[in-house]
Amino acid sequence: MSVRASMFAHLLKRGLLGRGNRPLIAFVALILASTMITAMLNLNYGLEKKLSYDFRLYGANVTVAAPEGQALPPNAESRAQSLLGSDALVVPFAFAVAHTASGDAVVVAGTDMASVQHLNEWWLVSRWPSEDEALVGAKASAYLPSYDKGFDLSFSGRLLHVRQAGTLKTGADEENRIYLPLGVFEAWTNLTPSLLEISVSGPEERVNSALAQLQSAFPQAQVRPVRQLLEAEGAVIRRMRSVMLASTLLISLTVALCVLSTLTSSVLERRRDFAVMKAIGSSQKSINALFAGEATVIATFAGITGYTMGSILAAWIAQINFHAPVAPQIQVLPMVIVASVALALLAALVPLARLQRLEPAGILKGE
Amino acid sequence: MFLRLLYQSFRRQQRRKLLAGFAVTLGVAVATAMIAVGVDVGDKINRELRSYGANLVVYPAEAALDVRVGDQEVKPTSPDAQLIESNLPKIKGIFWAHNILAFAPILDVKAEGEGRSLWILGTYFNKKLRFGIDDFQTGVRTLYPYWKVEGAWPADDTSEALIGTRVAADLHKRTGDIMTISGHELRITGILTTGGQEESAVVVPLSVAQQIAGTPNRVDRVYVSALTKPEDEFARRDPDRMTAADRDRWYCSPYANSIALQLRETFPGAKAEQIRQAAQNEGTVLSHISGMMLLIALAALIAAALAVSAAMATTILERRHEVGLMKSLGATASTIASLFVTEASLLALGGGLLGFAFGSLIAQRIGSAIFHSRVEITPVLLPVVMLLALLVTIGGSAAAICRALSLDPVVVLRGDA
Repeated sequence: MSVRASMFAHLLKRGLLGRGNRPLIAFVALILASTMITAMLNLNYGLEKKLSYDFRLYGANVTVAAPEGQALPPNAESRAQSLLGSDALVVPFAFAVAHTASGDAVVVAGTDMASVQHLNEWWLVSRWPSEDEALVGAKASAYLPSYDKGFDLSFSGRLLHVRQAGTLKTGADEENRIYLPLGVFEAWTNLTPSLLEISVSGPEERVNSALAQLQSAFPQAQVRPVRQLLEAEGAVIRRMRSVMLASTLLISLTVALCVLSTLTSSVLERRRDFAVMKAIGSSQKSINALFAGEATVIATFAGITGYTMGSILAAWIAQINFHAPVAPQIQVLPMVIVASVALALLAALVPLARLQRLEPAGILKGE
Repeated sequence: MFLRLLYQSFRRQQRRKLLAGFAVTLGVAVATAMIAVGVDVGDKINRELRSYGANLVVYPAEAALDVRVGDQEVKPTSPDAQLIESNLPKIKGIFWAHNILAFAPILDVKAEGEGRSLWILGTYFNKKLRFGIDDFQTGVRTLYPYWKVEGAWPADDTSEALIGTRVAADLHKRTGDIMTISGHELRITGILTTGGQEESAVVVPLSVAQQIAGTPNRVDRVYVSALTKPEDEFARRDPDRMTAADRDRWYCSPYANSIALQLRETFPGAKAEQIRQAAQNEGTVLSHISGMMLLIALAALIAAALAVSAAMATTILERRHEVGLMKSLGATASTIASLFVTEASLLALGGGLLGFAFGSLIAQRIGSAIFHSRVEITPVLLPVVMLLALLVTIGGSAAAICRALSLDPVVVLRGDA
């Protein structure tokens, strides 16, 4: 190592470590800026996933319906499931119009109770049925005899006696129906599912490709998106994307500018160091390099610390709010380090340019 | 003397004061903007979510079972078990009337037309109604913004109609065609796509459906879209078992359940329920979004406070010499401290006011750019933000002032500290 280089390294080391707690405020300020930038970027990446998960709670976003009066092909459910992968939820429905003992017509639906419970978490059910019980819509239950005795249904002359497990409240058409486990329904009516309700998770493109895949797998059936849900979801996600982007920019910029004033002051504080170096003959270039080197080293460490703290902050915010943390995004790390270094360099170079115009003697005299 | 010192300090040290004031202004601006957006974002997103359609339904208590699978069958209902159309404008008279964004009545009729049995759905498209002295318009166009019409929307109280895309395909009908249903000639103005069962219906103005059904002034159901507050434990309680005070509080909160109760009171003999798929799930989305924005606003607030404290600490530490000089000339610690605190307060007030104005402006820009509507900034925010600015600025200076005062003037003035 040349004498120059070793001197430079020595000065850099002294500058970083040997000046008591003066650079501490600058370091803390940079950590603060990188923490906020990291937290906002992490939340930005995580939010869409969390929101689209929230929208999956609405239930199906795609339906596959057999043509009027027909059933879907026998293995439709498993075919759709294998087509869409395990994260899609496919729930089959079969329908029949049956009659109660008193002669009232009622719609009876057969479905997979376990998966419908998962698909429509908003169904308010007093008790989910076991294997051979029925779930009765709140309005339909008025047409049935009292709870514990069980009731009779007839379809095409075939009788079925079932017990009622609980009532179902939804505020919509479902309340007019009686739901049976699919096995019981099929054995009784000989009808198979005519409708698949499917919840496809993922962004809009994923739903569109699922629609195309399903249509080509079931050319006879009507494959349709649940438009009202997709549009509401799209509108909210688009708006929130913009809100988060605006917030990220706003917070990052203002915190960065706030920090910039602190950093500038801490560089100006050292005009004596600057003057002494200049007076004993170092070139402007090497002084600039020294200050820039110092700023870069401090800013890099601050960026890494801030990244860690910001990731923790984002995870914590998501944990409190969505009950699941957002994963730290590794691609944020280089962005934060670059931002932190840029901030520190900007804060160092502006005052240095101003100091250059002053005579070292003047500074040392305290003018 | 004190005032002169104060004045000179601001006059001579313009750079320092500017930097500190700049930090305070920015800090207050970001805090103001984030709090304003965070508080308001719930309401804005609530409106977006209402594009999902109705979240409340009113129906007659005596309603017969609806025996319909997809579009197979419509059972004629008896006129006794129907709601009275002329009661509808009263919806705008309930306690939470301002939260009612739209409503539309539905009358289902089964009628013969074009050689087959058709499902006729009567409703308001964008009907002019009057409650008291208020005129308003409502109907499916605002209730179901996702209904897409190829062609034009029919006008209310005319013999125009929309035809669902599936019936249109079955009957080979197009926009502009005339169809005859139970002796009524209807002109098709557009083809309706909804993604739902309405695609199998002929949608006509309510008055036409009433004529076809022979039930003037009657409707089957009313769908209502209302801005509601996410449901919590309290919302789920039964109002009949509450104390009077709790019941008042429950009644005066815009929960889906309390708006449903108010609707029920408007229509004697009717039931009103929340449509759980819409009401429950939008509550989840809303509480998540507003919760997150508020947490972000809180984090921004703390970050701004720290940044401002750091800026204040730096500017004061820079002025050790001044402190040393004042001390050696006989100023007491309390005089010096009060000088610095007054300076900090002036900075906080000036920067705070400027920052509040700037932050409100940013919040407005965000509101108009993203939601195309104003962001409400409550006047309470100003004193809160100013108080915070004062606390943070003085708090941030305090440690630095103490440190500056603790130093021996001799050491400071020699330049050793």
